[in-house]
Amino acid sequence: MHGRALRICILYEIDSRRRQMPDREEHKIEPQHWVERYGDYLFSYAIMRVNDSSKAEDIVQETFMAGLKAREQFRGESAERTWLTSILKRKIIDTYRKKYTSKELNFGEHEETVFDGDFYRSEEPFRGHWLDGKGPHSNSLLPDGELEQQELMKFISLCIDQLPPQLAAAFAMKMIDEEDSATICKELGITASNLWVMLHRARLRMRECLEKNWLN
Amino acid sequence: MTKGPGYRFMVYMSKQMIACDEASFLISYREDHRLGLRKWWNLKMHLLSCHLCRKYARQIGELNSSLEVYREHCSHESCEHHLSPEAGSRITKLVKRDLNAK
Repeated sequence: MHGRALRICILYEIDSRRRQMPDREEHKIEPQHWVERYGDYLFSYAIMRVNDSSKAEDIVQETFMAGLKAREQFRGESAERTWLTSILKRKIIDTYRKKYTSKELNFGEHEETVFDGDFYRSEEPFRGHWLDGKGPHSNSLLPDGELEQQELMKFISLCIDQLPPQLAAAFAMKMIDEEDSATICKELGITASNLWVMLHRARLRMRECLEKNWLN
Repeated sequence: MTKGPGYRFMVYMSKQMIACDEASFLISYREDHRLGLRKWWNLKMHLLSCHLCRKYARQIGELNSSLEVYREHCSHESCEHHLSPEAGSRITKLVKRDLNAK
């Protein structure tokens, strides 16, 4: 055999060998190393979203426990860290839901009356205009020049914390976890238009809070 | 007073004007939706005439970009938050106990 036939044979052989090999490395599960390997990562992931270190620790602990319970289901398709992160995500969505249903006070309940009396005038000739001091002042939300990233991060989490809990839950799911609207509506049990009203209200408050913090 | 051919049109257009509340809602609404022609036009006209809402739109853009930074902040390895040693050892203990129980 030579020439073209040989080449085809060789290619076939290579191909069949490649097919026998597992095309990705198998991921093993090693719970004894979890805390040292992924503890910090999962903790930072959680604390960005719940802004409370003891709560975040609890969530990480729950995640590891849930992972231990479910480790037979781990198929090795994804890395351990990705798998644990997906469990952590579920836990965080649960805390959002708890946050959302925690208090009676409800935002964005009226779908048609979108507009928030805290921010806009309601008397007739100027209905719908910004209230004094509630509209934007400075041209830019962020001070120009060197931007202290550390400080910005601190202010963002501070401002998310100061939002009313319902708004905070919706806003964090949308802007930090980047869930799509349908998922958020399903998890929180709200309609799409309701969600948009809540996001709008959350943005009004976030903007105000960040501006205030930067000016001081 | 005679009313010119554009009168009705001008009346119609002025009724279409929106106030800051609606404009600021549309500013956040347009991030995920395509505005219809009328909403888009109304928003454009409002932004032309209202400096506060122009500022608002710019600031919301900045808010979104800084939230993007916030999201990226912890996805790379050099992240500042660390699990406190007490919590770490507590969780390690729990994990070990659970492992040995099986």
